Amino acid sequence: MNKKFQLPRAATAILFIVALFLGIGAINPAFLSVQNIMLCLNSSVVYTVVALGIAFVIITGEIDVSVGATLGMAAAGGGTYIRDGNTGTGVLAALVIGLVIGLVNGFGVTILRIPSIIMTLGINGIVRGLIYVYTDGKWVENIPFEFKALSQAKAFGNLTWFYLAALVVMLLAYLVMTSTHRGRYFIAVGDNAGGATLLGIPVVGTKLTGFILCSVFAAVGGILYVSRVGFITPIAGNGYEMKVIAACVLGGISLTGGVGSVVGAAAGAILMASISRVLVFLGLPSEYDNTITGILLIVIVVVDALVQARSTEKVRKERLAAKTNSVLETAGEAR
Amino acid sequence: MDKQTLGKKLFRWESALVLLLVFEVLVFGAINPKFLMPRVLLGSINNFMSICIVSLFVTFVLITGGIDIQAGSIVGLTSIVIGVLWNDGGLNIYTACLVGLLVGATCGLLSGFFVAYTGVQAMVVTLGGSFLYSGLALAVTKFSSTESYKGISGFPESFTAIAKGKIFSIIPNQLVIFIALVLFAYVLLHMTKYGRKVFLCGVNKNAAEYSGINSRLVIMSTYVLSGIGASIAGILLTAYLGTAKTDLGKEITLPVITAVVLGGTSNLGGTGGVIGTALAALLIGLLRFGLSMADVNTQYLDIPVGVLLVLAVAARFTGSNDKIRSFFRRFRVLFSK
Amino acid sequence: MKKTICIVLGLMLVASTMVFAKDKPAADSKKGITVVFVPKLTGNAFFESANIGAQDYAKKHGFTVKYDGNPEASVANQVTVIDNAINTGADAICVSSVDAKGLDSIMREAKKAGVKVVTWDSDVSGDARTVMVSQGTPDILGKMLVDMLADSLKERGKNPAKDAIKYCWHYSQATVADQNSWQVAGEAYIKKAYPNWKNVAPSNYYSEQDAEKAITIGEAILTAHPDIDGIICNDSTALPGQAQAAQNLGKTKKDVSITGFASPNSMKGYCKAGIIARWGLWDCKIQGALGCYLAYYLASGKTIKVGDKINVPDIGTVEVFPNTVLDPKAYTAKDSGVVLLPERAVFTIDNMNNYNF
Repeated sequence: MNKKFQLPRAATAILFIVALFLGIGAINPAFLSVQNIMLCLNSSVVYTVVALGIAFVIITGEIDVSVGATLGMAAAGGGTYIRDGNTGTGVLAALVIGLVIGLVNGFGVTILRIPSIIMTLGINGIVRGLIYVYTDGKWVENIPFEFKALSQAKAFGNLTWFYLAALVVMLLAYLVMTSTHRGRYFIAVGDNAGGATLLGIPVVGTKLTGFILCSVFAAVGGILYVSRVGFITPIAGNGYEMKVIAACVLGGISLTGGVGSVVGAAAGAILMASISRVLVFLGLPSEYDNTITGILLIVIVVVDALVQARSTEKVRKERLAAKTNSVLETAGEAR
Repeated sequence: MDKQTLGKKLFRWESALVLLLVFEVLVFGAINPKFLMPRVLLGSINNFMSICIVSLFVTFVLITGGIDIQAGSIVGLTSIVIGVLWNDGGLNIYTACLVGLLVGATCGLLSGFFVAYTGVQAMVVTLGGSFLYSGLALAVTKFSSTESYKGISGFPESFTAIAKGKIFSIIPNQLVIFIALVLFAYVLLHMTKYGRKVFLCGVNKNAAEYSGINSRLVIMSTYVLSGIGASIAGILLTAYLGTAKTDLGKEITLPVITAVVLGGTSNLGGTGGVIGTALAALLIGLLRFGLSMADVNTQYLDIPVGVLLVLAVAARFTGSNDKIRSFFRRFRVLFSK
Repeated sequence: MKKTICIVLGLMLVASTMVFAKDKPAADSKKGITVVFVPKLTGNAFFESANIGAQDYAKKHGFTVKYDGNPEASVANQVTVIDNAINTGADAICVSSVDAKGLDSIMREAKKAGVKVVTWDSDVSGDARTVMVSQGTPDILGKMLVDMLADSLKERGKNPAKDAIKYCWHYSQATVADQNSWQVAGEAYIKKAYPNWKNVAPSNYYSEQDAEKAITIGEAILTAHPDIDGIICNDSTALPGQAQAAQNLGKTKKDVSITGFASPNSMKGYCKAGIIARWGLWDCKIQGALGCYLAYYLASGKTIKVGDKINVPDIGTVEVFPNTVLDPKAYTAKDSGVVLLPERAVFTIDNMNNYNF
């Protein structure tokens, strides 16, 4: 029942991407070249990874607005080691940063019962300030060329290893969340936390896992950022939180929890990452960048909501019909 | 929890905020006596006034369970609309301000419509709105002879005096305007039927609908209010700086949400208050100001604000966590032995 | 119970505040002169380098420079920073302004309060400050950008005077005064000297000082205009981003000529890898030092008038020009003038290792 309900929502996002790409391609055919489409996918890898992470949290019904700061801190911290040649230490440092922030967020939300938006908002401010303390306002630059080249290393055709890995992770996450026992806890907790507790599902553990996964993914995103961008400014990751939340919503994940899949998050991430690129191809004066981004977002979200309203209504009617039928049947049998 | 206990809970929270505010003033005054000079202390409020005003009305939105992250863009849009209308359109500055208010209301109306009538998530619609309105602000400059990177300035003295002037040379005009707005918002939210409807829509939208409240209209109206609030902030900021720019207010989004949430309003809707928000906004603003007077570098100011937010809310919510309560009770038992 | 928690929390907050405050002693308890050095935004290589220059210089010459700014470049933030400087008793301020007019009233207030006001890098209205340390007029800088592009084109076999060169501008945003004024001056120069050049994007590309966006836009430019000849990036985040984008796509200085303004350190890697032939800047360390020195000079009781020649230790003699040298319509008065940096620098693979900032 769940499977049937989830895929359609992600499908809307994928449809949007196709429609958008075709639309832009009609205006400027250069956009539809294989090289460019691959470029769109490859360059969305940071957004994709972070969106996958935050999807866990949103599906459990919480929110995490500190992912941008986590990415920045992991990028700055890991980047410093990588710049000096210690790639291994750098990656490890970034992961530890993600783990710590995730633990702190999770602890605050589950044990101290602080609403997740407040907790993560506070942590966001603290980590942003800490980035300045750590870097002293300076850029982390001159990352070794070999490390930067990793982001361009192609697996086959024009698809980079990084993006391929992200896709594999997304598939794994999808399978875990829909097929394994533990994986389905996420959706259960998001859908009805009280009911989940009654069923014996560890709500605290699930939410905590969600936050840790989210921050660790954001940290991994930070390392990918270092490789792709090559220089880390203290405002790295600024504004990412809003973009990945929008990506998740576009991909069919509801902010109230319990609905959606990571496939949708990945699709939404491609959409969000492509918007800036799309505008260059449209050839419109760049003053209209923000206007068009805003209109696109609103249109996509409204259309999506209207479509969902229809399908939710359908499902509701189906459920009601099923219940009524079974009641009638039992009544009939009893007679 | 019935309304009385809810009211009592909020009252206790607001008195806690007042306590913290007093603490701040005392502590910062001790570190740097200049902080206590009325001219300096009250004058500093001018610098974060836009956050205070915007957060007042965003409170309404959060009480209905929504969120509004486009307020910052509306501030900039209002500012440039006023500038262009006055500079290139030749309109009287006050007429231009009225148009600015209309613009803010319309922006709020648009987003509010989508949230209330199509069931879209408020965060994403207002995110789109924030892009849209900041983009429109840039588009407006196309109608002006001034390039977008040069702000429009040279406003009449009477206009800028509204924001820069002081009563008795000590109390800034903006503070007086703010207090008036707080009173207005308080009366609107806590003493009118409309205010009660806002709360009820936040507590349970469906129940409100079934009891005859046009919940969709009410929810949409909160976004309109928020838009007007942002416009007011935009007008005052333009007057204070003496220049109209498209990107005024772009940095206030997160501080506004922080202030509203710290003020006791839950983002799930149903509880909250205007006084709490006003106190929290002042608290955060003075915290940042006091810390800069204590020689803390501006870049690090986000850290204490974040700590304040987390600790303050932890105190409030941890108190209701039974496990921790019983943990502390054990301590008390130990000591009483 | 709740009240006790709140009081305890209040005390904890107080304690943590005092920890922070102990880091730096209050400004007015110092004996020397304090200059508050305000950048457009912090965390940017250009401004951080200027600060290093100012700090080193101040240490050698006996005054204090306090670096204070906001990570986000906005008028309201800068007003707050300057207001704090006035309230903490600074003797002078040296500001790189985000907006040409927005800071006027706070700067005038500072002057009234007895604080000496100097600007650098990005100016305010002439009557709101005493002296401006300028890296060059928009015409000088615009021409410099175009000349660098022309030289790079010549190096890879193009003829800037005759070929139909396609180019575009890529910098931070449409609202920053200085970068836009260079772009406007640069465009005017191109129309006169190189009418055969074609600007494929007259409304420019903006990446808002965001490194990731600079790369995305950079890649998009190179893919949407595969035959583009030159890209001018007059923003210190856009240039490394554009260079990285070129590297990601496998392009080098032989395929497309990228140039602009950025700190030498941020571009050395790309120059070595052959992505970029030349880029420019000016010694912002000296600019920062000069600005702070002039602020200190004023704060020590001396006055500056147009026409003065001031001897700046370790830097040289600078002349104070009238404001009209930057803008023919500027405000003129005896006590408001401009100091120009003697030279700008073009960095190439040959000289880039002589610079470290």
